[in-house]
Amino acid sequence: MAPLLAGYAPNLEKFLKTLKGQSLEASTEGLIALLKRRQIRGAEACAFATARVLLQVVAKSKWTDVDQLLANVQKVGARLTHAAPRELVIGNIVRRVLGLIRDEASEERNADNEGSLMDSVSDLQTLQPSAATATSSGSQRPGPNPIKPTLTPAASFVSKSLFNLLSVVDPAESFTTGSPVTGSSTPIQQNSSATALKSEVIDGIEEIMDELSQADDQIAGFADVQIHPGDHILAYQPTATVEKFLVRAASKRHFTALIASGTPSPKGPEAYASLKKKLAAAGVRTVHVMSGSYAAYLPKVSKVILPAHAVLANGAIIADGGAACVARAAREYSKPVIVLSGVYKLCPENSSEVEDPIELGDSSAYVPFTDGPLVDGVDVESAVSELVPADLVDMYITNLGPHTRDHLDDILADHYKVEDIDFPLQ
Amino acid sequence: MSSKQGGKGAGAGKGKKGAKGGAEEKRDDILQAVIIADSFQDRYAPFSLEKPRCLLPLANTPMIEYTLEFLAMNGVQEVFIYCSSANTDEVEAYIYNSSRWRNGSKISPFSSLEFIRVSDARSIGDFLRDLDKRALISSDFILVHGDLVANVSLDAALAKHRARREANRENCMTVILRSAGEDDHRTKTHGITPHFVVEPSTTRCLHYEETHPLQADHYLTLDPDILEHKEFEIRSDLIDCGIDICTPDVLALWSESFDYELPRKNFLHGVLKDHELNGKFIYTEIVDQGYAARASNLQMYDAISKDILGRWTYPLVPDSNLVLGNSYKMTKNGVCVENGVVIAPNATITESVLGHRSSLGSGSSVSNSIIGDRCKIGKNVRIENSYIWDEVVIEDDTQIYHSVLADAVRVGKKSIIPEGSLLSYGVSIAPGTQLPTDPAARISLKQGDGSPATDDASLVGENGKGADFHESASSDYDSDSEDEDFGTDPSSLQKSLIYSLEGLNISTSSISTLATHTSVDSDEVESQVNALQNADPTKSTTATASRNRLDSLSAFSAFSDDSMTGAFHTDAVNGLLDSLRAEDTDDFDGAKLEFMGLRLANNASDSSMRKAIAVSFAKRAAELTSTLDPAKAAQRALLDKKGAIKFIREVGVGGKEAEQAEFALALQNALVTQVMGKTLEAGKAGTVLAALLQQLYSHDVLEEDGILAWWNDGRAVEGGELMATVRDKCRVLVEWLENADEEESSEEESDDE
Repeated sequence: MAPLLAGYAPNLEKFLKTLKGQSLEASTEGLIALLKRRQIRGAEACAFATARVLLQVVAKSKWTDVDQLLANVQKVGARLTHAAPRELVIGNIVRRVLGLIRDEASEERNADNEGSLMDSVSDLQTLQPSAATATSSGSQRPGPNPIKPTLTPAASFVSKSLFNLLSVVDPAESFTTGSPVTGSSTPIQQNSSATALKSEVIDGIEEIMDELSQADDQIAGFADVQIHPGDHILAYQPTATVEKFLVRAASKRHFTALIASGTPSPKGPEAYASLKKKLAAAGVRTVHVMSGSYAAYLPKVSKVILPAHAVLANGAIIADGGAACVARAAREYSKPVIVLSGVYKLCPENSSEVEDPIELGDSSAYVPFTDGPLVDGVDVESAVSELVPADLVDMYITNLGPHTRDHLDDILADHYKVEDIDFPLQ
Repeated sequence: MSSKQGGKGAGAGKGKKGAKGGAEEKRDDILQAVIIADSFQDRYAPFSLEKPRCLLPLANTPMIEYTLEFLAMNGVQEVFIYCSSANTDEVEAYIYNSSRWRNGSKISPFSSLEFIRVSDARSIGDFLRDLDKRALISSDFILVHGDLVANVSLDAALAKHRARREANRENCMTVILRSAGEDDHRTKTHGITPHFVVEPSTTRCLHYEETHPLQADHYLTLDPDILEHKEFEIRSDLIDCGIDICTPDVLALWSESFDYELPRKNFLHGVLKDHELNGKFIYTEIVDQGYAARASNLQMYDAISKDILGRWTYPLVPDSNLVLGNSYKMTKNGVCVENGVVIAPNATITESVLGHRSSLGSGSSVSNSIIGDRCKIGKNVRIENSYIWDEVVIEDDTQIYHSVLADAVRVGKKSIIPEGSLLSYGVSIAPGTQLPTDPAARISLKQGDGSPATDDASLVGENGKGADFHESASSDYDSDSEDEDFGTDPSSLQKSLIYSLEGLNISTSSISTLATHTSVDSDEVESQVNALQNADPTKSTTATASRNRLDSLSAFSAFSDDSMTGAFHTDAVNGLLDSLRAEDTDDFDGAKLEFMGLRLANNASDSSMRKAIAVSFAKRAAELTSTLDPAKAAQRALLDKKGAIKFIREVGVGGKEAEQAEFALALQNALVTQVMGKTLEAGKAGTVLAALLQQLYSHDVLEEDGILAWWNDGRAVEGGELMATVRDKCRVLVEWLENADEEESSEEESDDE
């Protein structure tokens, strides 16, 4: 009876397995329910599930041209982000997929137009040339003329992006039109190009998924540069990413790992047992620091490593509850704080735009439910996630390498299209 | 559509495990669940008159949503919902209108969800026996109630259950329990305390029993077999959330015992007690992570609502928006608000939930409360610890403390709703009204039998709507079957929002009795028994809640100080009297058998048996004196039935001098009681006693030594004049005996000479 070990409760793995047999609607709602029930949680799992569902959208939903596909992806993406408003990576993946579709569509179109007019409609770097070319190809009149009334009625793909590019005034409005394209502007041949586009986009999404699964390894690749022999590394609530990072470093460097857990974990000292075992195998000494007492170790610590749920555009991060406290303590002792985060966790939002980064979780993380008087007499607020201000973080290590705060903007521009920056609002 | 969907679900299941398991395991792989959506109780009255319990809102979400979510969370595939005919329609309509749960809905997490109606069901037991007949259950299934709020993961318990079941087919059930610590806990059920006797090494459940503060005897009877286990724990610190993992055998057990009604008090207790007969094992899974509780009464409703506000039920909290279409957001101070909520800038609100488009006027303060959709709350209103359902209007300057206000309630200006008030659907309170505090008001537009109530202006004010809610004593439906066999009815403890023994609807004279009860620790059994006995019997019988148990007890206490065997005494005397009176047969063997059975069942002592026999024969003799003269009556009473004398000799007396004296004393006592009860004339009593003793002497039941021992016993003259009068009548007999003795001895002496 081997299958019994797996249990019945749904999780990411089971969800992915059911995807094939289910209708798109069922998959979407299934994921939404899992997100709401926190049976899929954590940035990586959420990102992966989102990518898979969006893949289904591309493969299964009805669309005949790029605009419909974009609308479909946006619609499903908006529902997913709404289901878990604090998992910002979901929005990121949706933006990535949207950008991918736009890229592929423009490539198609370029091929159709013999590549004569434009190369990339909406890449931030190629803003100026694309604006000019897009206008000439897309609208009837030559020359840039970004006046609202003329553009919005025939809201085609090209004119939309153009409008966005030239007037940043009200990008949301240009997308509100649900009307299908009139056909005057987008010269996409319906079927053959649609299937080609579909397979291109699906390939692209699979690449994104590859990126997700490789991110941890790539980040770990920078471990030996960052961790020096003899270092004392404080890792706050290490995730899989941090775990790989430390283990990789341990294979080359001799250092001391301090593992701090914020909440009094129900598992007690057994928490992070596998990590400790791996580190011990590599000859690295580990110290388990229980809740709150890490400040005593800070004078000895050489670096603090924080895993991020999401990295915001201004450099603030959303991390496990208690991380801000660690970061602040590190600042007091002038110890560098390093954030490990895949590029997919990098969000175009600023910390002021994130409505409520603090998620309150299960109160029993701090007070056992068996303690009747406490349950009745005390209001417990246990933050699952919280915002660590940008100035407390010194360095970000993504799968692309180590970055400073100022560099984040460039990475953002590389990965997201301007049209999609405001995605969840649409 | 539904069948297609079902096929898909099954297909998904196959896809998952097909590679690993054979054909049989595939079927195993589909987890089934049965929801009991009807409780056959009226603990939620008057609210449950309007809506079935499982649709009442708990933190603005119908309770059944939590239950379904729990099942979905645990990967259940097929769901059966049992409802009694009275409220199936509403529940079914609710599910049908929910695009998420509807059977065959594309987005339903279940492959099928079926309603089963049982029109003549009167208890949960009827549901499960019906389920057994239908043969819908193929493998392990989860049995839950429609008022469950839980986020525990059953995977571990299911795996353990499965492993145990494979090891032994008789391991048929696993009960999920949440530990709640030894201290007082708001989420433990008050009133009825479940006690589980568990073997810690195997988690096997050995015994189950319920106690409540109103019962006379605060003790558990453990089967001596339990003591043979190396170790066992008696746990009363558990929250019984009503989740059972069952094999189909459980349904067969239900069918075998047609009189079981409740899954715990009847079924669990019964099956464990009869373990030697049925050979079934039941296990417990005591979880200490996660949340699980049943909103089985208003106090639990209150507790679970607070737990939701305190986020102990996470992720089942309003801002997870698990119900389709909800969009609650967490804001500051633990306040969850829906879209369209308007809170005046200078209103204060903490630890609360505000439903869709509700508004809160300026200067108002709300704390620890849950407010439903489209409620209008005026200015300077104060709401604390209250549950306000949808579309309630509360006008300015009103104060509401720890109450439940159902849909469409209106409360006028400057009213005060004190703690514990329950305002049912559509009730309107006129401005300036203060509702009573002790007992707290239960106001409804309907009476217990469903008929409309006439508005009570003295309660709800001029132009108010609603009257004090009375349960209809006659209506059987909805009666709380759980507690029927208790002498005192603990369900009365469960109907109020606030658990309190003072809040009982009992006359003041008997409160003192109850107070002694509850002030002592439960292990001080003795003192409680004494407290009950010392209570003036006439007073305790006036208590509205007390029934047979107290009656028999007070009658008995004059006669015996052994209250434990009160039930035995009554039953035994009635049984013996019936067979003594019987005209058609003159055989006493049946009665003897029945008596011995009763004795074993109650574990009655020798002395209580003696008393019971003496009383029954004395009663019979007293009855016969109405037509016959005393001597003849005594003879008929003793000799009419074959074997009666033998029965008295063996069972009733069964001993030497001391026992014989006891029996004679018991006869005397019984006759005196008859005299006091006016069924026998005082003069005749003595004659009857003398005749009885003489008959017994002549049939060698009593010997002279025994009778003389009684005659010389101080107790025979104690207890008033009557005893002495009755005893005096036997002087002749005794003197005759003494003389005979002397003669005998003198004869002996003469012989010796």
